[in-house]
Amino acid sequence: MAVSAPAPAGARRPRLQTLLGEQPIGYLFVAPFVIFLIAIYAYPFFYSIYMSFYDYFFAAPGAVVDRPFVGLANYTRAVQDPLFHIALRNVVIFLLINVPVTVVVAMVLATALNAAIPLRSFFRAAYYVPYVTASVAAVSIWLWLFGGPGLVNKVSGPLAPNPTWLVNAFWVMPIIALYVTWKGLGLYILLYLAALQNIAKELYEAASVDGAGRIRSFLVVTVPGLRPATLLVVITSVITGANLFTEPYLLTGGGGPDNQSVSPVFLLYRQGIEQNHPGYAAAMGLLLVLGVLIVSAINRFVLERE
Amino acid sequence: MATVTATEPTVAARPEPAQTPEQGEHGWLRWVRLIPLFIGALVFILPFYYMVVSALQKDPNPNISGAFPNPNKLSLDNLVNINNAISLPRTLLNSGLFTGGVLLATLVFGVLAGYALAQLHFRGRQVVFYTMILLLVMPFQLLIIPLYVLIARNFGLADTLLGMILPFAINPTAVFIFRQFFLQLPKDMFEAARIDGASELTILTRVVLPLTRPAILTALLITFIGPWNEFLWPFLITKKLSLQPLAVALANFISTSAQRGPNPYGAILAGATVLAVPVIILFLIFQRRFVESSIGSAVKG
Amino acid sequence: MRSIHWASLGGALALILALAGCGGSSQTSSQAASAKGPIQVWYSNNPEEVKWGEAMVAGWNKDHPQDQVTGQQIPAGKSSEEVIGAGITAGTTPCLIFNTSPASVPQFQKQGGLVPLSDFSGANAYIDSRTGSRAGQYKSPDGKYYQMPWKTNPVMIFYNKDVFQKAGLDVSNPPLKTYDQFLTTSQAAVAKGGVRAAIWPAPSSEFYQPWFDFYPLFIAQTKGKQLVENKQPQFDSSDGIAVANFWRQMYAGNLAPKEPAQGDAFATGQAAMAIVGPWAIAQYTGKVNWGVVPVPTKNGMDPAQIHTFSDQKSVGMYSSCKNRGTAWDFLKFTTSSANDGQLLELTGQMPMRTDLPGTYGSYFQSHPEYKLFADQASRTVEVPNVPNSVEMWQDFRAAYSKSVIFGNQSVDQSFKAASDQIKTLVSQ
Repeated sequence: MAVSAPAPAGARRPRLQTLLGEQPIGYLFVAPFVIFLIAIYAYPFFYSIYMSFYDYFFAAPGAVVDRPFVGLANYTRAVQDPLFHIALRNVVIFLLINVPVTVVVAMVLATALNAAIPLRSFFRAAYYVPYVTASVAAVSIWLWLFGGPGLVNKVSGPLAPNPTWLVNAFWVMPIIALYVTWKGLGLYILLYLAALQNIAKELYEAASVDGAGRIRSFLVVTVPGLRPATLLVVITSVITGANLFTEPYLLTGGGGPDNQSVSPVFLLYRQGIEQNHPGYAAAMGLLLVLGVLIVSAINRFVLERE
Repeated sequence: MATVTATEPTVAARPEPAQTPEQGEHGWLRWVRLIPLFIGALVFILPFYYMVVSALQKDPNPNISGAFPNPNKLSLDNLVNINNAISLPRTLLNSGLFTGGVLLATLVFGVLAGYALAQLHFRGRQVVFYTMILLLVMPFQLLIIPLYVLIARNFGLADTLLGMILPFAINPTAVFIFRQFFLQLPKDMFEAARIDGASELTILTRVVLPLTRPAILTALLITFIGPWNEFLWPFLITKKLSLQPLAVALANFISTSAQRGPNPYGAILAGATVLAVPVIILFLIFQRRFVESSIGSAVKG
Repeated sequence: MRSIHWASLGGALALILALAGCGGSSQTSSQAASAKGPIQVWYSNNPEEVKWGEAMVAGWNKDHPQDQVTGQQIPAGKSSEEVIGAGITAGTTPCLIFNTSPASVPQFQKQGGLVPLSDFSGANAYIDSRTGSRAGQYKSPDGKYYQMPWKTNPVMIFYNKDVFQKAGLDVSNPPLKTYDQFLTTSQAAVAKGGVRAAIWPAPSSEFYQPWFDFYPLFIAQTKGKQLVENKQPQFDSSDGIAVANFWRQMYAGNLAPKEPAQGDAFATGQAAMAIVGPWAIAQYTGKVNWGVVPVPTKNGMDPAQIHTFSDQKSVGMYSSCKNRGTAWDFLKFTTSSANDGQLLELTGQMPMRTDLPGTYGSYFQSHPEYKLFADQASRTVEVPNVPNSVEMWQDFRAAYSKSVIFGNQSVDQSFKAASDQIKTLVSQ
């Protein structure tokens, strides 16, 4: 851990500063994090890059096995794999539903829950509950709600689709997106609640002096004030979407119906762990990571420019 | 945002911070406006309610009426079964050690890294930031076997608490949260402190941390749930019953009683209830503190 | 800007090199083969098997103070294969796992994770004499045993007598022999028996699900064929297509639901029938008034001729094992006639041993409900021991799901495509 560091030398050493930046003590602060990343994650990460160029499989230590170099074959296979296409399409469907709903609903609810309303603790806990409920239970509850004789079909009556929601090729992804939004919303409300504490009350007073109503002050003060939190929420949502796994694994019984709810990570799990083709899994995983990095960079550019 | 905030570097003390200007309304109107919140809360709580009710039912009832059981038919059988099958005190202690270790490391190292990434200028900052995002994106399923080989074989940490904690020791999500919140603080505040000759560590511990207590609580509540509910990794790294956390023991219990036992469905939900209740209690305790913190009072004090 | 980047990259590379350097130190197999000493074993975590496992370990340790055995539980479920796979890669597997799925054996073998049992002197003779002619299915393509066939749960059809009674069906001799009878009976059960489904196999897409819908009926219909024989897929045949079309009718007529059940559909009275092995008896007894019949065939068959899926679990010896001499002795100890008998007694699962009714006569006298299973256990068929076995079942499941469960394609078309795909897969 970083001990009380020598006071930063300020402007004394301009040459070192141009080399290292204004506050080189930053290195000391990030050092444990960087060492952790290297010690724990660098090896598995570079190992996956390595595997992605081989017809790789995991073998016992000391076993003599043949794992030929295949160049870009794993990548070209991924690009052409119709299942991988479905998986990527599913991520897009997921994000189109999950991100806007999460941002809007979480922001509005956090604002509401930040006000001095009765039963505030109760409400905050209520929205937080799904987030802490273990997936295996949350999933079985949704199966119950959206099953053939379930509550949702009872309510929707003749409007219920056939086959029913979670085995319907069209509805399965929207339902998964709603499930994940529902399960994670409590977390995002918390993030926004925390961010709201940092918005100065004077800004609201100033807006009100300018004659802004409640909605207008929400739009001109709250929304811009929450921008760093929004970046956090959007990027976290994108990452959640790209990492969808539990839902096709548990909620739709292995990417069903008919592989219409497979996700990239689910395919990766199937190929890499169940079928022991980690080379191909690594190629899919790295393509996915590349995609998310690009999307995150765009998000950051849009949401963090000043 | 930054420009506006910069004009208000010191925020005045307020008893109840950051309330949107909705306070002074008439009583009944306030309650009417709660109706949508009530409906929303219902949607979020109903499944949880269903889980608890089903966990308390002796006979499984998969129909809708199962949600509104006859109170006479409720029993603690499922919970008693769990308590007989696994040692709750021991597994809870293990969960506490595992989660506590993760939280401690995340908090100490995460705050440092988040602060550096948000407020300190040094070369390579962007690289660290994107490495962090990269790590957030990497699917755990891709890394798990090499990671297991590394920790079990190369580090020789199989069947140890440390081996259990290590892959989660610093949560990049938490670092990201800290960074975003430290970013929100007014720049002038740092400049002023630096001119006063305060070291960065002093600024961090004396100025920044008290101001961002909600963010830290949030990060804790978010980090908490990962190790608390994590099943595969602790199970992989240790087969010793004496080291198993609650989530692992429950998953084992579920996998055996889902095949047999009088009420497999109830057993699953009872297990999930046992796992969720401590978290909800902690949340209820923490979210009070969450409200009390404020920029104003912290700056003054 | 770059400094951290390169430092981390350099550090990571150094670490990788260091790690690569310390790989691959393993004992030669000839030394290990006869070595004696303490060993570790894993068994399933269900209470009955734990009880048996603990009894075995205690029984052995009493007589072998030098070569102590330590037993541990692993989950019997989705994650057990992952745990074993990771353990093989890291060299942390125990000596014996009393819960090795035959479908995973080709993969574990390819990973270099399994010890060929045939290398122990007398092993082939031991396995062949214990298990009889069925043992041949457990040999790997190189002619060696990498697994000891251990216990089977032959899959049959359970039916709910009360539901059948209510539907006006013959309770003691239900019409379930042919596909037509099965369909008519199913319709009657759903129409008048007060159940939502006639039978409820899991309609989900996990690779192992065909073992509990398509495969048992396919084995019965073909009089004992495996899904793939001599590298040739067998399911794209008139028999295979007949089985698939039978299930397709079940799904189309909503006699088998397309969505997963909540809990065990048979035990909770949601389904009139179940397709499962004898381990489930413990779960059904006291809740369902059940009867059991062999799986149906197209035109009906003498029950004494019907084969079914074994749902067998093997014991594997893993290459990380140092004291293989002790491991082999312990394996023989646990599969002795007496200890097999104890397994039967404690778990109700059938040891992979010839002439069960003759060997354990008194057990079956006091447990008549298990008798049919003991008889059926002598006619079981395993999953084929072929490369890429899990991937093959996954591809088959995809084709089946598309054409049979959801009816989005004809069975002929999808089986033809899957057959071509699987042919290339298993010849790799």
